[in-house]
Amino acid sequence: MARRSSNDTEAIANVLRVLPAKWIIGLLVAVVLYFFLQPRLNQWFGWSLPSIAAMAGNEAPAKNPKLTNNKTGSAASKSPAATKSTAEPKSPSETKPSAVSKSSSTASSGGAASPKQADEDYKYRILKPVGRDRYESPAGLIYAPGSEEGHRLAHIAKHLEDQPERPGSHGVFEGDMASFLVAIDDAYKRARGHAKGTKSRVEDGMTVYEAPFDQTIGYLGGTEGARKRNPKLKKMRLVIRDRNLITAFPIQ
Amino acid sequence: MAKPFLIYVKHCPVCGDGLCRVRVCQDPRRGRLTGCILCDDCETVWTDPSLRQKFTKGKVAATPCCPDCGESLWEQTSHWADIPEVCLLGWYDSVQIVRTEQRDQIV
Repeated sequence: MARRSSNDTEAIANVLRVLPAKWIIGLLVAVVLYFFLQPRLNQWFGWSLPSIAAMAGNEAPAKNPKLTNNKTGSAASKSPAATKSTAEPKSPSETKPSAVSKSSSTASSGGAASPKQADEDYKYRILKPVGRDRYESPAGLIYAPGSEEGHRLAHIAKHLEDQPERPGSHGVFEGDMASFLVAIDDAYKRARGHAKGTKSRVEDGMTVYEAPFDQTIGYLGGTEGARKRNPKLKKMRLVIRDRNLITAFPIQ
Repeated sequence: MAKPFLIYVKHCPVCGDGLCRVRVCQDPRRGRLTGCILCDDCETVWTDPSLRQKFTKGKVAATPCCPDCGESLWEQTSHWADIPEVCLLGWYDSVQIVRTEQRDQIV
């Protein structure tokens, strides 16, 4: 955006002289309200409202706003969250943190069926780096280091493939990691908004959300899944602690 | 190296998908072994196999912590219990044991 010249300033001053005082006060109140609400609205609803600094031209525009890579799979392309994710302004080369290699290599073993570079692609096309090895989804979920695998992304990657020897049930998501992340965001947004068919309960600081899907998202694995001939699953359960995703998997 | 046995109490009543497994924390300063039950999926911690009392406070936020020392249960001082450790804790009767490898692979 071009910088304002002195002519622009004069034009604004002329407009302000013409407007009644109460309109100007109302306008200022609206600007202040927008200033405080804009980041929260973006966070709550996954919108991408521009900040006042960006509108005034004081904030550098994104270098690579259009990402043309389209590997996110069918679920990702169908979901509205996927279209938002493609508008992430930061390019991979700009935002790559130094300590992501461990988690991405472990995540790749979970069935993404692609090399390390593809793993980093899904992070940067869908998730936004918000700190050292911490990522935020468009819906506001945080994927941080933790779990036995070292990172939540590596942990949820275990639900991308069946563990037929595991006792009991094991929900398996059918799709790649990118479409799994999009589906998790979709379920989270609907469950937080108390959409029809969703459930939520709080258990000692953790919130457990359940959200149904129109289509099959996975199947039941583990020994119980094998016994039942791997029935298809159309619901997802999320366990969240303070916006940190702990785990997510399809359920019956 | 993967352990030849999977030891668990029951399926997690919180998330429904995880297994409530025995986790032990060995405090190197005090040299004592503390056992607790940890869901391997949602990371809920209980103080014993009855799963009556959860432990939610620890020194590390958003991480399951040892009910005794309060440190993260994902630190190198903690690990999944093996059968002798389960016996030492007196929890052998409360757990189920599943063999995860073929018999000839067990050493």
